[in-house]
Amino acid sequence: MKKITILNGDPGNRAYELDSYMGEIENLLESRGHEITSFVLRRMDISYCNGCWGCWVKTPGECVVRDDSAQICRSLIGSDFLLFASPVIMGFTSAVLKRACDRLLPVIHPYFEIVTGEVHHRARYEKYPALGLILERGADTDQEDIEIIRDIYSRMTVNLKSELRMMRFTEDSAEEVADAIDSI
Amino acid sequence: MRLTVFNGSNRGKASNTAILLEQFLAGFIEQAANEYETLYLIHEKDQTRCVEAFKEAETVLLAFPLYTDCMPGVVKTFIEYLEPLCGRDGNPALGFLVHSGFPESVHSHFVRRYLEKLSRRLGCRCLGTVIKGGSEGIRAQPERMSRKLFRLFFELGRIFGKTGQFDKKIVGQFARPVRFSKLGLLGARLGAKMGDMLYWNRLLKKHGAYDKRFARPYEPDKQ
Repeated sequence: MKKITILNGDPGNRAYELDSYMGEIENLLESRGHEITSFVLRRMDISYCNGCWGCWVKTPGECVVRDDSAQICRSLIGSDFLLFASPVIMGFTSAVLKRACDRLLPVIHPYFEIVTGEVHHRARYEKYPALGLILERGADTDQEDIEIIRDIYSRMTVNLKSELRMMRFTEDSAEEVADAIDSI
Repeated sequence: MRLTVFNGSNRGKASNTAILLEQFLAGFIEQAANEYETLYLIHEKDQTRCVEAFKEAETVLLAFPLYTDCMPGVVKTFIEYLEPLCGRDGNPALGFLVHSGFPESVHSHFVRRYLEKLSRRLGCRCLGTVIKGGSEGIRAQPERMSRKLFRLFFELGRIFGKTGQFDKKIVGQFARPVRFSKLGLLGARLGAKMGDMLYWNRLLKKHGAYDKRFARPYEPDKQ
């Protein structure tokens, strides 16, 4: 059994199939005994990070802006697996998802450390979830876009003290994706 | 030349981005015929005004700080608003400035790939991406510590104002180091310690939060 947090970044302004696809995935994962916390980001009150560093130097570990982003941080830290889901819009995951990702800063510590020969910030917690990504391709999405997204998310996972363990597409069957999550 | 600048920092007018742009633009208007307009993405209620400005622009500079290895959310929102302009005739030439607090430029290389692909997607002539590391302290430190950096940004703007290009030499200088050498890493380790002490600890103490600096408010209850 895994605790799984899902961040659904479907902006809801177009006929994406992501919502219904994620519904299927969630049902399957639950039927296999996993505990799912799913956030539909567009329905949440999450403002843009204002870059104040308050979560590092005023109220360490917590954002000074009290909105729904705290729920995500809490759920993430309590999870074994964090799944990002988004349509590809203009060659990247949605703004709704990026806005939420910018608010994950409280789970990291400001102090610096050297990781694989680069300067990064330190971990605040002992354990972080493994990460996965589900994408719904847009009409204009090409292989280069996918590679750029994969590489940027791989970088993001270094900062989240984790690894990108899975990247799938909505054209994969829900069973396949659930199997992949099972095996992580 | 007419330059339309989009400041994509979440700190808006009070950002390091604004400070760097101020120097760049002071150099840019050394050419008497040059003019510019700056729009702050975070201060706009909706982004329609920005999209209109982009449509009418001749040359665009999109500048932002690196956020979780990529563009800040507000910049992605703006980019999504630009979708209807993909492949339209008469899109502006497009240049980028990405800066980050990390001392090496490698952190920003990935978003550069994205930005240059974005130019192609929009059908904009890409003027390239200026990457500058080590930028976080600029707002906080005394101006004399930034004098050399400011001079280079002024010069970058001046040359851009004359040629419409980012000066390769300055861009190359900003980009160093891409990654630290083995020897450089020794210095970086020391720099990291200094950063912890002089920057983070000072701020933590200023806010009376030093003792709580390792707080883990979301740690699951251990049972």
